[in-house]
Amino acid sequence: MRDHRRSRRPAALLVATALAFGTVACGAGSGSAGSDDPNTLEVWTRSNPDPAATYERVFAAFTGKTGIKIDYQPVINFDQQLQSRASTKDLPDVMINDTALMGSYQSQGLLKPIDPASIRGGDEITEKTWASTVGIDGKHYGIPYSRQAQTLMIRKDWLGKLGFKAPTTWQEMLSVAKAFATKDPDGDGKADTYGMVVPGSAQNGYAAWWGASFLWQGGAEIIAPDGNDTYRPAMASTAAVHTVTWMKDNLFCGDNGVTQPGALTAVTSTATNFQDGNAGMYLTGPYNIATFDQTLGKDKYEVIPAPAGPAGGDVLADGENIYFGARTGKTAQERALAAFLISPEGQRLAMTGENQPVVRIPVNSTLNAAKVHGDARWSVVQRAYEDASEQFPNAPDFAPIKQDTADALNAIFTYCGGDVRSQLKELDETLAGDLKDQDLLK
Amino acid sequence: MTATVTTPVARRLPRKKTVVPWLFLAPGLLLALVFKFWPMAKGIWLSFFDVRPFLGDQWIGLDNYTRVLTDHRFQDAIGHTLVLGLGQSLGAILLGFVLALLLEGQARSLKIIRTAVFLPAVTATAVVGELWRLMYYPTSDGLLNSGLHLLGLGPVQFLDNPNLALYSTMAMGIWIWAPYNMVIILAGLAGVDRSLYEAAAMDGVSLWQRLRYVTLPAIRPALGIVLTLAAIRGLRVFTEVYVLTGGGPAGSTEVWMTRAYTLGFTRNDIGGASAASVVLLCVTLLLTVTVNYFRKRGDAR
Repeated sequence: MRDHRRSRRPAALLVATALAFGTVACGAGSGSAGSDDPNTLEVWTRSNPDPAATYERVFAAFTGKTGIKIDYQPVINFDQQLQSRASTKDLPDVMINDTALMGSYQSQGLLKPIDPASIRGGDEITEKTWASTVGIDGKHYGIPYSRQAQTLMIRKDWLGKLGFKAPTTWQEMLSVAKAFATKDPDGDGKADTYGMVVPGSAQNGYAAWWGASFLWQGGAEIIAPDGNDTYRPAMASTAAVHTVTWMKDNLFCGDNGVTQPGALTAVTSTATNFQDGNAGMYLTGPYNIATFDQTLGKDKYEVIPAPAGPAGGDVLADGENIYFGARTGKTAQERALAAFLISPEGQRLAMTGENQPVVRIPVNSTLNAAKVHGDARWSVVQRAYEDASEQFPNAPDFAPIKQDTADALNAIFTYCGGDVRSQLKELDETLAGDLKDQDLLK
Repeated sequence: MTATVTTPVARRLPRKKTVVPWLFLAPGLLLALVFKFWPMAKGIWLSFFDVRPFLGDQWIGLDNYTRVLTDHRFQDAIGHTLVLGLGQSLGAILLGFVLALLLEGQARSLKIIRTAVFLPAVTATAVVGELWRLMYYPTSDGLLNSGLHLLGLGPVQFLDNPNLALYSTMAMGIWIWAPYNMVIILAGLAGVDRSLYEAAAMDGVSLWQRLRYVTLPAIRPALGIVLTLAAIRGLRVFTEVYVLTGGGPAGSTEVWMTRAYTLGFTRNDIGGASAASVVLLCVTLLLTVTVNYFRKRGDAR
């Protein structure tokens, strides 16, 4: 028995070694053959199947025009997938994703810098829009592709029934929300309607994404420039304390029914009360217009500018940029694709068709959103973007800042007995730590 | 074999015998190596770096570990993980045991019920999460709250009340894992010698005595397996929380793995997330070895 066992060991070692070599050989041999073809670009977007169909059409038109093939991958959990691709040092050639992620990608070295003059048609994008793709070192790291600003979607029929006008201030919005919750606007005799929809979970930073517009309107900032490319945390300011206190007292800890049940664990995909027809307002992005037209009906709701707070009516603006993956070696083809995507033809294709549009407000200044979409409601969105919007700062890696802000807001809205001032002060200290990690604190 | 066989042949035979099993094992080992051991080794390696694939990883020694272990949100998560892991595992074992006792037998109807009861274990957790979100819906439209409404109670904020959310998650976890345990315990029950029950009945023992002195000792091995599995998966609970609450509200259901996930994929701190995972791996390993030690010691007695 003893002999037997001893003789097993070398055999096991042999097999294990053979396996190890086999693996190495496999790894070396099976490189990604498709992405090595210089005439094929691997393109990623963060899209569900419906908007992905729109992208398919756009890319087909590009291939028809230039002969450059597109290996298109709509990815839903984009950042998770991108992290695993980054670890293999083989990035997609072109990525289209949120503006707010630029600083994060740049700080990890995932992006090629871009000279705006090298992109044909780049002069048709306004200075203001180009300015939103400048990184921390002053170079551009993205090409603007689509822009949007949040607007308030509100039930027109409910307003009419209860005799309200569209709200223009926070106070009016609150009265309307309470009426929607208590005066049975759907007329079924049951108290089953709610004032507004809130995706208030901290997951993926939703609470901060949704709450940002309120912060701007209350005169608060999350972080503020502090000169010399540095920033300081700004969530302990008087304006921030007032704004967050107002939100907590009136939207979350006040009368029941102003926000939908389960708001504090809801993300955008589970906050469906507006399209289900049991909540009356939703401050959100215009990409939802196509969905709401289908599920709720175009005649039931209208798109209006967000009600103004004490400091104005600014809303969160965001959108998508085109990013070039670092070290892909296909710069000429990538530039050709970017030039097509921002051209009037490329933008128009992405704004029309049966599926969800992937360009909301065109970055190409020769186009008019309402005209191309054939829908006057888009001019409300375009005006909000041009005149009354603010973006998250694009240069810093904003991901940890957004996440920490969302965690804090979610906790403040959950524990109604807490002290907002001290909770925000704690957030301010956390944000200072985030900025310090990035060497951005003065 | 006859005695006439010469010695060299006899010596060569076992060697051939030892290579063949390994060859049969090779495909499985290869898969395990590529998909399990290699990523695991890489994860441990990365936990000592500030991971920046395109700028060059930086060796920072144990910094990731100190950062994770001193982070107050990870410390909060330890408590939640222990409560959820323990509660969920023990609850699922208890419920699985009860279900197994109720559903043991050969009748056709029992087979159908057993299949129905087992369904949660084979349903995708994402689907189960959506289902329970609907059941927990915090108005009287929700299934559970409509039941409470009939009794004149509620509505209860199952997921939005930070004091309750962890227990609501636990209930779903028990629901998912109990049928799995039930199947293992059923297999154990099938092996119990019937004559023991008959002897016990003749001695006039109570139901409790029969459970305590006949059934439980007889299904010891099955319980050992169930306990080992619970020790392995109890602390790495992730999917249940992720699909139901995402760690909220106010971080009240944040467990070790959801925190590691946020660190890795929302904050792009792969090094820190790796360190957190390695810590969990060590604790789980320790726990599994401990459970096995006590199981073996019990068996020896």
